Amino acid sequence: MDTEKLLNFTCEMGRSLLQNGAEIYRVEESVHLILKSYGYQQTEIFAIPSCIIINIQGGARNHNKAIRIKTTANNLHRLNNLNALCREICAETPSMEIANQRLRQVMAEPPYPKGISYLAHIMVTFFFTLLFGGTLLDAAVSIPCGVAVKHTVFHMKRLRANAFFTNLLAAALLTCFPLLAIAVGLPANLDMVIIGGIMLLVPGVAITNVMRDVLSGDFLTAVTRLAEVLIVAMAIAMGVAIPITAARILGGFWM
Amino acid sequence: METCLPCLYAALTSIGFAMVFELRRWQHILAAGFAGTAGWLVYLLTADAMGVVGRNFVATVAVAILAEIFARIFKSPATVFLITGIIPLVPGGGLYYTMDALIDGNMALFAQRGVEAASIAGAIAAGSSLVSSVVRILPKRKRVPAGGTGK
Repeated sequence: MDTEKLLNFTCEMGRSLLQNGAEIYRVEESVHLILKSYGYQQTEIFAIPSCIIINIQGGARNHNKAIRIKTTANNLHRLNNLNALCREICAETPSMEIANQRLRQVMAEPPYPKGISYLAHIMVTFFFTLLFGGTLLDAAVSIPCGVAVKHTVFHMKRLRANAFFTNLLAAALLTCFPLLAIAVGLPANLDMVIIGGIMLLVPGVAITNVMRDVLSGDFLTAVTRLAEVLIVAMAIAMGVAIPITAARILGGFWM
Repeated sequence: METCLPCLYAALTSIGFAMVFELRRWQHILAAGFAGTAGWLVYLLTADAMGVVGRNFVATVAVAILAEIFARIFKSPATVFLITGIIPLVPGGGLYYTMDALIDGNMALFAQRGVEAASIAGAIAAGSSLVSSVVRILPKRKRVPAGGTGK
């Protein structure tokens, strides 16, 4: 078994897991178990949300690799498949060529077609507005909000914009629709529609993971995620505040 | 009726979120919807018993227990169902009202709303980690070497 190839493979596996929403302990444990099943007992793995370092002690020398993780997305379908792949690899220990090929297969699976993805976003805003106590009209107004959020996030990701700016812009855009609806005289509830819309942006994943990271001893990761939660929440609040304030100033002129 | 309709909305919200997060198999999507419903049902049923932070905590515990069960059934990570299931509980409303108070310049209300939203987020984090730490110390009866383990 070529240690370098195994090292490269486990790095890619770690990167894929991390980028698709796995917790830190899962990344470290998965890589550790894979290396163990290939017969390497002396291994060290260190992962934080932006970096993975793997060290394998094979024979007389150390094999070492550090990779930088830049983008993350939450693709739970891939996460499921990667988790299953890890188990398979641990159980079967296939050759590196086959393992790499299977990993590429999992990662090559395309995301949902655009139409379904937009529909899912609309579904969240629509039913969340209703859940929060909005009327059917509010829910209807929240439909373009869902489209706007999906559209903004998709294109900002393509432009490699940072999380702060993406969330700010998406929140600002989605706030415009209920404001417009009220401006034309529809009896929509501003708060219900906006809350339905920003649910797509609030960092629910990070909130859930903060304490889980603390409990598994990954304090550095927990602090990183906490910063992410605060930054994103601030961006959303600012994004919503800008159009509302603008509308109030303009409204002062109209009325 | 008063609880049925919101629970239906909670289910559809969670299902929508499962699809936003690219969950593919229909069993997984349904399970996510079920977890979301259960969480919201607990949240509604405990309305008289405790304050809003406590309700979020208990609801999250319910979602987390379900997520661990689904993780065992589908042999997939519990986070998958946890992330999608707790979505109805995440304090998006709290965030909005906090911001709203800030725009109005009402600092007392701003502080009150802000602390409430942060406490709810904390309750969700605490609830989910409580369940997962209990599950992790439970004895395992697994034969297969579990890559990344089933939790």
